[in-house]
Amino acid sequence: MNNQQQNKQVLTLQSTISDAGKLAEFLADYVKKFKIAEEIYNDLRLVAEETFVNIASYAYTGQAQQTVTIELSSTADKISITFTDAGIAFNPLTDAAECKESDDHCEGGMGIHLITSLSDHQEYSRDGQSNVFMLSKHLY
Amino acid sequence: MSLEILITPEANNGKRISISGSLDSNTAPELQQSIDAEINDSVSTTILDFKDLDFLSSAGLRVIFKTKKLMNNSGGKFLLVNLQPQIKKVFEIIKALDGMNVFKDQDEMDEYLTAMQNKVKDGE
Repeated sequence: MNNQQQNKQVLTLQSTISDAGKLAEFLADYVKKFKIAEEIYNDLRLVAEETFVNIASYAYTGQAQQTVTIELSSTADKISITFTDAGIAFNPLTDAAECKESDDHCEGGMGIHLITSLSDHQEYSRDGQSNVFMLSKHLY
Repeated sequence: MSLEILITPEANNGKRISISGSLDSNTAPELQQSIDAEINDSVSTTILDFKDLDFLSSAGLRVIFKTKKLMNNSGGKFLLVNLQPQIKKVFEIIKALDGMNVFKDQDEMDEYLTAMQNKVKDGE
């Protein structure tokens, strides 16, 4: 068995915030199945929610219900989450709502800050007509 | 992932909002509605009790900051108590703890409230 991404599981959701709960359940089932530490799960759940909500809120602006595909994969030392959608070119790290200052907190940027703080690597690419956003986190 | 909200009276026109479960993009509007209905200028102290909350996202944080602002504007107090480690971590990441009155447990908060009340009495 090589060290490439393994244990792949895929979920397709509607690009609607109400489907964020299904993402949390998908992630919970995955970490239970592959015995991933609770602390890692807590961080991943938040990163996944913030990313999914950004995509659901902005990638399909003005369009009818579309889908977002989420792929989970892991090796012995890393777990990765990849979000793929067919919306407008949208990078969840740079294209979310503009920063609205409120009591010294940048409300638009809180989600982004949480994503970058709780994951070890983030990568966005535009693949044809699709956005592909990958996050990974070390398991040690 | 659901949120349970329980609002109970506290001494001296205070209110305690106990939240359980998940405060996320789907449940944050419910909390905001409850706060809109129960917290007004006549509430002297609002306590947000996180004892049974296991998840907090930026949507939940926005409701919390809005409530803090509401209490600040009315001259009231806004206290957070019983944060689980993963919840406290979220506040720490966005550097929001400094501006908040956060207590690790009920005893610590009671000490603070008693000291505040004694301060008021001494000033009478």
